[in-house]
Amino acid sequence: MNLSQISPAAPEITLTLMICVVLLADLFVPQEKRVITFWLSIASLAVTAWVIVVTASSATTLAFDGSYVSDPLSRLMKLCATGIVGVGFLYARDYLQQNDLLKGEYYLLGLFGLLGMMIMMSANSLLTMYLGLETLSLSLYALVAFERESAKAAESAMKYFVLGAIASGALLYGISWVYGVTGTLHFHEIAEVIRQNPGLNDVPLWFGIAFMIVGIAFKFGAVPFHMWLPDVYQGARSPVTLYIATAPKIAALALLFRILVDGLGELHGVWQGMIMVVAVLSLLIGNIVAIAQSNIKRMLGYSAIAHVGFILLAVFTGSETGYAAALFYTLTYIVMAAGAFGMVILLSRQGFEAEAIRDFKGLNARNPWFALMMLFFMFGMAGVPPWVGFIAKLNVINAVLEAGFPGLAVLMVLASVVGAYYYLRVIWYMYFDAPEDRSVFQSQADTRFVLSLNGIAVLALGILPGWLLKLCIDVIGHS
Amino acid sequence: MFHAILFYSFAAILVVAALGVIFARNPVHAVMFLVLAFFQSAVLWLLAEAEFLAIVLVLVYVGAVMVLFLFVVMMLDVEVEEIRGGYTRYAPLGIVIAGLMVVELAQVIWLRGKEGFAVDGFRPTPEGYSNTEALGSVLYTEHVYAFEIAAVILLLAIVAAISLTMRRRPGLKQQDIASQVAVRAQDRVRIVKMASEKPE
Amino acid sequence: MLQNYIPVLIFLGIATAIGLLLMGLGFLFGRGQKDSEKLSPYECGFEPFEDSRMKFDVRYYLVAILFIIFDLEIAFLFPWAVSLDVIGGFGLAAMGIFLAVLVVGFIYEWKKGALEWD
Repeated sequence: MNLSQISPAAPEITLTLMICVVLLADLFVPQEKRVITFWLSIASLAVTAWVIVVTASSATTLAFDGSYVSDPLSRLMKLCATGIVGVGFLYARDYLQQNDLLKGEYYLLGLFGLLGMMIMMSANSLLTMYLGLETLSLSLYALVAFERESAKAAESAMKYFVLGAIASGALLYGISWVYGVTGTLHFHEIAEVIRQNPGLNDVPLWFGIAFMIVGIAFKFGAVPFHMWLPDVYQGARSPVTLYIATAPKIAALALLFRILVDGLGELHGVWQGMIMVVAVLSLLIGNIVAIAQSNIKRMLGYSAIAHVGFILLAVFTGSETGYAAALFYTLTYIVMAAGAFGMVILLSRQGFEAEAIRDFKGLNARNPWFALMMLFFMFGMAGVPPWVGFIAKLNVINAVLEAGFPGLAVLMVLASVVGAYYYLRVIWYMYFDAPEDRSVFQSQADTRFVLSLNGIAVLALGILPGWLLKLCIDVIGHS
Repeated sequence: MFHAILFYSFAAILVVAALGVIFARNPVHAVMFLVLAFFQSAVLWLLAEAEFLAIVLVLVYVGAVMVLFLFVVMMLDVEVEEIRGGYTRYAPLGIVIAGLMVVELAQVIWLRGKEGFAVDGFRPTPEGYSNTEALGSVLYTEHVYAFEIAAVILLLAIVAAISLTMRRRPGLKQQDIASQVAVRAQDRVRIVKMASEKPE
Repeated sequence: MLQNYIPVLIFLGIATAIGLLLMGLGFLFGRGQKDSEKLSPYECGFEPFEDSRMKFDVRYYLVAILFIIFDLEIAFLFPWAVSLDVIGGFGLAAMGIFLAVLVVGFIYEWKKGALEWD
């Protein structure tokens, strides 16, 4: 092995080096200058993104004896994850400062989580995938428990950890079955072995697939493995919720694509049914339970479950159109989720967490511009044209229709209509109710600027979705 | 034959120990059963000629992880009886799920057996074969990526553990041994030269 | 290869036998007049005020987990040392990077003061 076999992994290597730099630098920064850690973390993300861009090509290269793959799909996912983590860091800064939580560990754990996600996106073997997933999960558990004094955070971290450990165990158990049957860990070799021995398509392999789907569904937060999600969204501090709600969704999609499509694509008929059950349940339960919530973080948690239903149904079709639709949906959803949680952070201040939906009352009277931004995010998530959520939903419904499931398409439309209710309720509160508290926002100009950009992006992507859609289709076609 | 008898007897102890972990009323006893279970698994690995893994299981799990478990069990100060309440409440559900898994597993093994899926026993390894060396020869070359990720996970574990459990107590009086050793007489004692005084 | 472990097996057998024998003897010949008063903890003639088992300080946990991490690091060194002539310079470099990452962790915990007891 020589350097050329390692060079495809340049983004991961760069990020690891930068993490070490941030880690050591943070040790020597005095508390009052902690903001240096923040800027260093942003710089790390920028350098990593730059490396991803300069090493980009349309080719698929393997490295490390086939346990690492660098293809257009992984590069697009990595770039988006890096960007969204950076946006999340920026939104978090003022909040952490006001609440005396500005510690280097928040950024360090965030960077470690990003590294785990990047490892997952480029994993070409079950072993690498699992290690990446553990890196991500371990950072997330620690991030949720980040505020040590809060019993609520500790409780949700505990729930998350115990359930997450069980899900990892299920995934690992499934992996061991698939390895036992096929005799290899590499995805393309698994696909090859199954193609050459149709006799393997039998109970033992199905058994392994079922367990792996349990693990995947848990990481997505799909029903019936969603129990942790609302509690964690509510219990964690808002910047942490923002982190969990955005980039890890792309990583979960990578987990799904790599294992089920790259590795077990031949067995599409076997996993299709399982994915469909999970997706339909997520769609229904997510949308219906979200209506009953009074806490906006919890409501967005259930809405995330509903959105996962859409993503899973897109993958369920098993067509390239469907995969592209799933990718487009995930990438646009995280932009909207980042914005919505960014608004929650913006409305919070020292010792006050704007987590009740009531706290959004009369936002229009307090600050019309950010009320408009929140309107963008809510309309986007609800799937109202011309915001981007509409195009994303339309794509998925198209793919499902193309695959020949008109019943499912009708169900998706109905679920979206139900879902629109709770998004519109937030808008109603903002525009037609009197404000209960009139304090001014305490955030810096750059945060406001990026949040505004975020809101405009939701509209702009909806009006001009063509390039991203084409990019998604190209990327899926090349991978 | 002798090999098989050994395997089954150690496996039986392993199962008993595992059941003990679940049914022991005292959490410390449960941890001790877990230690026994780890030992038995180590023996099973040894029977499969995976010496290195067997030793690591004893060194790392029994030697370090179980100590941590004991600390955690003692740290929590669990009210044993309180937990028992939920235990019996959820038992039927647990038994149903466990039963389902057993049925599925049995079905898999039974189906395979019907097809004449032969389990060829352990093939004796050639003379001079070292499991440790075989492991090392692929771990640091073929699986080097996974190996380096393991280093990152360990680093992450350090950061996570310190950020979650380390706290500075305010108002703690600390002993700084370095500065104690470095102290010089002239910092502590001031020798004042005075002219001697005559009694009046 | 497994023949080499026969002495260990014999040792295990004898150890188990002696353990069971001693406990069995005590069980057989002990007086065994147990009642709940006799088995209850006793504090200078008083009923015990509180449970004799105390909560452990969370600091033990930190020490234990840091120990495990470096214990694992050492576990990785064993097969490396055994197979060094097979894996050559590449293996040496791989372990070098592995150790470098953990040295960063070591600097981190040292500077943070996690190795100090108070």
